[in-house]
Amino acid sequence: MNNSVQTTGQKLGKVVMFIILLIMGLVTIFPIAFMFMNSFKSQAEIVDSPLALPKEITFKYISHAMTEIKLVPSILLTVLITVLAVGFIVILSSSAAWMMVRVKSKFAMFVLLLFTSSMLIPFQAVMYPLIAMFENVGLKNVPGLIIMYGGFGLAMSTFLYHGFMKSVPASLEEAAIIDGASVFQVYFKIVMPLVKPTTVTVIILNAMWVWNDYLLPFLVLGDSENKTLTLALYYAKMKDGPYSVPWDLMFPAVLITVIPVIILFLFLQKQIIKGMADGAVK
Amino acid sequence: MSKLYKKWFFPFVLPAFAVFLIVVLIPFIIGIFYSFTGWRGSFFMGPNGRTTNPFEAFLGLKNYIAAFKQESFRSAFLFSVKFTVLAVIAVNVVALAQALLVNAIGKAVGIFRATFFLPNLLGGLSLGFIWLFIFNNIFTKVLFGKEGLIPIKFLTYMTDKDPNKLMFAILIMAVWQMSGYMMVIYTTGLANISDDYYEAASIDGANAFQKFFKITIPMLMPSFTIVFFLVLSRCFMLLDQNIALTNNAPQGYRMLAAQVLKVTNDTNGNYGIAQAEAVIFFLVVAAISITQTVILKGKEVEMQ
Repeated sequence: MNNSVQTTGQKLGKVVMFIILLIMGLVTIFPIAFMFMNSFKSQAEIVDSPLALPKEITFKYISHAMTEIKLVPSILLTVLITVLAVGFIVILSSSAAWMMVRVKSKFAMFVLLLFTSSMLIPFQAVMYPLIAMFENVGLKNVPGLIIMYGGFGLAMSTFLYHGFMKSVPASLEEAAIIDGASVFQVYFKIVMPLVKPTTVTVIILNAMWVWNDYLLPFLVLGDSENKTLTLALYYAKMKDGPYSVPWDLMFPAVLITVIPVIILFLFLQKQIIKGMADGAVK
Repeated sequence: MSKLYKKWFFPFVLPAFAVFLIVVLIPFIIGIFYSFTGWRGSFFMGPNGRTTNPFEAFLGLKNYIAAFKQESFRSAFLFSVKFTVLAVIAVNVVALAQALLVNAIGKAVGIFRATFFLPNLLGGLSLGFIWLFIFNNIFTKVLFGKEGLIPIKFLTYMTDKDPNKLMFAILIMAVWQMSGYMMVIYTTGLANISDDYYEAASIDGANAFQKFFKITIPMLMPSFTIVFFLVLSRCFMLLDQNIALTNNAPQGYRMLAAQVLKVTNDTNGNYGIAQAEAVIFFLVVAAISITQTVILKGKEVEMQ
């Protein structure tokens, strides 16, 4: 195709297509920009003139939201849970996948098959017995929550690591073993650096899920002293009933919940999009 | 093969396996068993009254029969099926349109892709609250209300007046959140179609429509299969948006996932019936995923 000679029709077509895309883009961005804008307004301003720009730039409502629904401890707790759960998943799944690739025993095949088929199970099918079991042993709390995330994140992550490690030859590891390296040295110094792309995918997929998750913290922590960000938001909205939603609290609180993800996305856009697409296509 | 691997196999695999057993497999098996009993959470209600032994409270298929007789379960099931059918069509159309348009203009691809992708990363619950305001204030008053820009009654008070309106509201949110993700998968598919096909077709005198329907669409089929099932299972399992847009998903305004969650409240803690509904939910989700695997495997054979 010769792109240097474009007819006026083709040029016009491209302009029209660009305008359609631009409108779609603006519609996509609108709710996020809208939330951002209304985080600087009072309840009356939000309800009476939702589309107007804020009268003044004040962080009053954001800081009010931070104290009102105790956002600082919630952020810290959410960060703690996300980091520990994702770390737990990465270590468990990479070490298991590595050995399952290197030792092709029947048990290894069985575990892989079991993990793969467990991806069919929706969380709802196990949640009630799971919570009852954990409650019985005193783990209906934050540590229990982290273990549960570990269990649910495992199957998919092991599967991803297993797929990648199959194509990594064992020769490098075997050379190190002959040189007297211990299994942990081989794992941390040779295997983990080689599978870094998969680790990035595993971290992104699981961190997004844990950070945004509502149902599991709702079932495990409920209306307790310690809440995750999503849970704090949920109770802030539900407590005030359906007809008197405190929007001057909700908008800044949602802003605080999504801003870390948006900032991360701005910096790691390519990796995140690739990671999510890889996770989907498997 | 080094002996070292054999020696360390169990220490490396067993922790993952143990966590998996405790968190997924054992609760799953217990859950299936309890769905046939009069489970009430902390005790069991058998034919002979309260007991702590689940075997004495075995009810056979009673919970399943009760579930299908339950109005809230049936409406949630229908709601989920209808919504999922609509969402699969709508998300696919929008995602494909976005991918084709971005591909055609070939400029600012990165910015458009990032913009469309962004909502997918943010939580359904928190964004649901923003959309709740948009539906109840912007849609209802500014845009489509009696004194709004274009009065359209259907697009006002969408979240609590009529389940069909709510379905449409969740649909708008689902398209907004998911289409960018699916667009990325379609863009990858489009990039894999070699220019040679189009050039050969041009030489043979094919027009743009012929090229689209005879080359682009058939070559996109693998991406289409992935997107189709991804949207299908995600939408069928959708929960957070449902909770956020309604006032905690009252009866009649629920998808199946919300029904499984809320039914214990409706029935004063009848976990047996909730678990039966959860097992039915599992069977549908598993059927969708197995169909997907079978179709994708078949496709791989065709390609070789």
